[in-house]
Amino acid sequence: MLRPFEIHEPATVQEGSRLLAHYGEDSSVYAGGTELIPVMKEGLAHFRHLVNIKTIPGLDGIRHERGRVQIGALATHRQIERSPVVLAQAPVLAQVAARVANLRVRNVGTLGGNLCFAEPHSDPAAVLLACGATLVLAHAGERRLPADAFFTGILQTARMPDEILVGVEVPAFGPGTGAAYERFATHERPTAGVAAVLMMDEGVIASARIVIGSVGPVPARAPEAEAMLAGQRPDPRLFRAAAETAGRRAEILEDLYGSADYKRHIVMMLAARALHAAAAQAGARVN
Amino acid sequence: MSMTRPIVGSPLRRVDAAEKVTGAARYTGDLVVPGMLYGRVLRSPHAHARIARIDAAAAERLPGVRAVLTGRDLEGLDAYYGHAIKDRPIIALDRVRFAGEPVAAVAADDEATAEEALLAIVVEYEALPAATTLDAALAGDAPRLHEGPLRPGLFHGLGELRREEGNICYHYRFARGDPDRAFADAGVVVDGEYTFPAVYQYAMEPHTVIAQWGSDGLTVWACCQHPYLVRAELADLFRLPLSSVRIIVPYIGGGFGSKSYTKMEPVTAALARKAGRPVRIANRIVEAMVTTRRHNMKCWMRTCSTRDGVVVARQCRIWLDTGAYADNGPRVAATAGDAAPGPYRWRAVDVDAWAVYTNTPPAGSYRAFGAAHLSWIGESQIDALARKTGLDPVEFRRRNLLRPGEEVRPGGKPLDADLVGDVTKVAAAIGWGTPKAPLVGRGVSVGLLAAGANPVSTAAMRLQADGTAVLLVSTTELGQGSRTVFTQIAAEELALPPDRIRVMGPDTHFTPYDRSTGASRSTTLAGKAVQHAAVDLREQLLDIAGGIWGLPRAALSVRDGAVWHETEALSYPDLIRRHFGMVGGELIGHGEVRPQRGTGSYAEGPVFWEVCVGGAEVQVDPSTGRVHVRRLASVADVGKAINPQLVEAQDEGATLQGLGNALFEEMLFENGHLVNASLLEYHVPTTSDMPDEFHSIIVENADGPGPYGAKGVGEGALAAVPAAIVNALADLGVEMRELPLTPERVWRRLQDAGIRTGEIRSPEIDRR
Amino acid sequence: MEAGAPSPGRVRIALTVNGRPVEVWIEPRELLLDVLRDRLGLTGAKRSCDVQVCGACTVLLDGQAVSACCTLAYEARGRRVLTIEGLAPDGRLHPLQEAFIEHAAVQCGFCTPGMILTAATLLDQVPAPTFEQVKAHLQGTLCRCTGYWKIIEAVVAAGRRMASVEAPR
Repeated sequence: MLRPFEIHEPATVQEGSRLLAHYGEDSSVYAGGTELIPVMKEGLAHFRHLVNIKTIPGLDGIRHERGRVQIGALATHRQIERSPVVLAQAPVLAQVAARVANLRVRNVGTLGGNLCFAEPHSDPAAVLLACGATLVLAHAGERRLPADAFFTGILQTARMPDEILVGVEVPAFGPGTGAAYERFATHERPTAGVAAVLMMDEGVIASARIVIGSVGPVPARAPEAEAMLAGQRPDPRLFRAAAETAGRRAEILEDLYGSADYKRHIVMMLAARALHAAAAQAGARVN
Repeated sequence: MSMTRPIVGSPLRRVDAAEKVTGAARYTGDLVVPGMLYGRVLRSPHAHARIARIDAAAAERLPGVRAVLTGRDLEGLDAYYGHAIKDRPIIALDRVRFAGEPVAAVAADDEATAEEALLAIVVEYEALPAATTLDAALAGDAPRLHEGPLRPGLFHGLGELRREEGNICYHYRFARGDPDRAFADAGVVVDGEYTFPAVYQYAMEPHTVIAQWGSDGLTVWACCQHPYLVRAELADLFRLPLSSVRIIVPYIGGGFGSKSYTKMEPVTAALARKAGRPVRIANRIVEAMVTTRRHNMKCWMRTCSTRDGVVVARQCRIWLDTGAYADNGPRVAATAGDAAPGPYRWRAVDVDAWAVYTNTPPAGSYRAFGAAHLSWIGESQIDALARKTGLDPVEFRRRNLLRPGEEVRPGGKPLDADLVGDVTKVAAAIGWGTPKAPLVGRGVSVGLLAAGANPVSTAAMRLQADGTAVLLVSTTELGQGSRTVFTQIAAEELALPPDRIRVMGPDTHFTPYDRSTGASRSTTLAGKAVQHAAVDLREQLLDIAGGIWGLPRAALSVRDGAVWHETEALSYPDLIRRHFGMVGGELIGHGEVRPQRGTGSYAEGPVFWEVCVGGAEVQVDPSTGRVHVRRLASVADVGKAINPQLVEAQDEGATLQGLGNALFEEMLFENGHLVNASLLEYHVPTTSDMPDEFHSIIVENADGPGPYGAKGVGEGALAAVPAAIVNALADLGVEMRELPLTPERVWRRLQDAGIRTGEIRSPEIDRR
Repeated sequence: MEAGAPSPGRVRIALTVNGRPVEVWIEPRELLLDVLRDRLGLTGAKRSCDVQVCGACTVLLDGQAVSACCTLAYEARGRRVLTIEGLAPDGRLHPLQEAFIEHAAVQCGFCTPGMILTAATLLDQVPAPTFEQVKAHLQGTLCRCTGYWKIIEAVVAAGRRMASVEAPR
């Protein structure tokens, strides 16, 4: 049962930011509501002022500009899943959008909401990190933050209370870039997910990004594993070793979804698969 | 419409389907009674505590709040109920015994106000030591949940009840032969300890009740499965004659046992009494989960056979966690005990089953209780014996299974099904004996469920002056299709088109007594009462026609809504008009089923043995431990399928619930608190959990005690499927002694079994 | 049609429900499910899980399935809401409804309205979906009674029927 609140309808980002600044802790950004409303219904949080950013024009577009895919924070998972731009330039984002929660949540839930809520068991966060996404946060002005720096803890982000996430930018995949996301789920939210992005250059891995999601407080890169891959030719043994390193070094919390040692094993399996899939996406031969 | 084709045995369209696909079907929560208030319940945050003080003054002062009910309002009433054991107060009096127990209830003008008011109620608790697990409750120094003399409930049906030691709620035992000697002499023995989790029934409609008091007594609309038992308990609690309590049951949004017996009706009635206005209480799912659940269990079992594969003896000790109040725990213990031996020819059996009180939410009925708990254990030991004796598991069963007419339990009904035929059919359906892909295992299972509950049902049928009929029967329609099946039976017996028959929902002021809707009993027992009522009407019509024509009954027949003598016909409307001598009037047929009536077998328990026969083919992903179910088969051994489409539908539903119970469904408690109290964290099977193939095999041997030789269906598969899946894993060398078979558990056992789990297997790691 | 009464903190919203214009005074905190059920008397959408997992409360908002239990009624302003009651406006059943009856895809009926509406959004996009397509589309809509077989078969059959009717001769 929801307790009373007021809904504000800013016309601009600046106005929305001013409202958030004015009401402070008594306010929350409101967009798709798929994360916020259930939490408020349960009485786990209460805000007397919801700032509905859906009344701000221009935050739901998906564009390909200057080599980057720009996704408005208000784009729904459903929009991303079906966007010709995403499908052409960063198909892994469409694949992951198609797996978020269920049809109804995807129809309404926004990418921005998913990221700002920072529920650790999230699919899009890990993938965006792996893709080297940049988050655009706005208040009076605007700042750009690498996705790596955005997630700071369970349900916590680097977003200031008066900031509004307005968009996400992902470098468009050039030829030779492959990305994949592998997940394991037994409940509504994922147990574990691993995203891998490989940039190939003449049969060699020029750079690799591996991100482990859902098992720790925040999605996290696997730098040692990435370093093992850079400059090497794709190889099953190498992938396996990198995956094991990624799993071994990951911060993993035990919870209802499983014990830490089990999830560590799952992460290794997923990481290996994600690397193979990313290599295949990049058109690389693995042997 | 011509009546040449028999209606019984045909897939008549569900009579309730049109209402349900258009949203017109009304459930309790869709009803609004004039003047109705909305109730919400304050529940205990403690697993065990004394209530030192409740201050509801602030809540009562809130605008829109009309009444706050606490234990103090029950003074002057004997406020305890429980159909088996009267151990549960309408609302906590001075003590709470589980986290989630109702402590106060608010009636207000709307739900939001009622919810606000809950926050304004101050309750001071003094925490007590809690026994929140079976082991803790069974310990010598465990805190006791219930003291004083045991008070039997109105419908326990369990012989003489007495207060047991410590936290034992009920003890069921039977034995024959000399098991100790049998085991001492045995060639092959298997032995193991097993655990089964608490499971949530998840009827999609949570418990919802409307109560209204008036000068004529108490009227209750509720989604209860057993309106007559609820009526009796409410009459007892509020000291009213039975005729002053009226229970009306609209469509029910699923039950599966969760709405059997009395649940939220007493607290709603007490709140409405205090408010002086009608009140509706609708549980949320989080509340439904702490209202009732399936018993978690621990079990020790051993089984022995000769070296050449003849079963000899079985011993079993069963501890069922019934939570803070008995609910249906005693019956669950008895049924579990009955299911423990399995349908084999034993020389000696020795079974103890205890229902144990703990400081957790009460456990009661859930589809196939007892058999679902025990079948997988007993059947895994049968498979282990087969492996040790070098016999094929199907062949091992063929040699040892009881044959029709053999004794199942001392003094009980002999076996009334062809189990060897049944298991042969499921084995064929899952490709038994054909080559298997790597990491594919197959298993079969055979079990029996004591079904039918108590054989008392009545029905009435009113034939109207225009030849249409109203069938009055108190079976609740919770999705099983009883109204459709009863329509078919009545149409067949009266030679009426089904669309001229209307089946009403239960209203205890108008529809006659039916003991309950559960235990797969309705087609067999209420259906038999319906058949008798229709036959009674037919005989009245024949007598009227016989009187007009001066002919004996034997010279007459019914067809197409008329009584016929050779080529002459008198339609039912004609007969009614001639009988009453003017336009109008009606004929009323009456039917009943009593233990002494029917085929003579009702006096012996159970009414029938429901078979639990299944087969499974699974494939394991060793890298995650996930069990993928490729094929499932179940036998619906129904005697006679009055509506084959609905039989199949029951079997399909029970099968997926069985798969959920086997693979992932589990309520998790920490210190008595449910920690996965929402569907976000309690996973219910979705389409992605379906097996690739499912075969429902309908067996019709006309060997049931119901109409046309029918017997019940709809529960067996839920017991059979987990057992078959466990055996399919054992076929791969993976022995599981703990349900559910979560990927993590299976992964650990795979390692124990020496199967490599580090292989990067199919990219189909995630099927969800 | 107008429902509710103006009062402090309430706002008036205009929307279309099952093809008919409706104006309602609502509090911002009110959920679409409660407004449909308690104010407009449209009880076809059911409350079950309350956490947008089960789909029993599904209604279509501008043709898209949403969980009415977690959607603010405010979101429906100026939009089209379709509930199960609006699927067969003239008493002529939708092919999905006919197929659910024919295939016994209905048991207790509590999931049925949401299931049919969810299936309708698939048939809008994919004229004659396969068994696997239907199964994937219905993945987040729960039914505890049927085991899903007959539901999927019914949707496949309805899709075929609609495609054959709509196909040019």
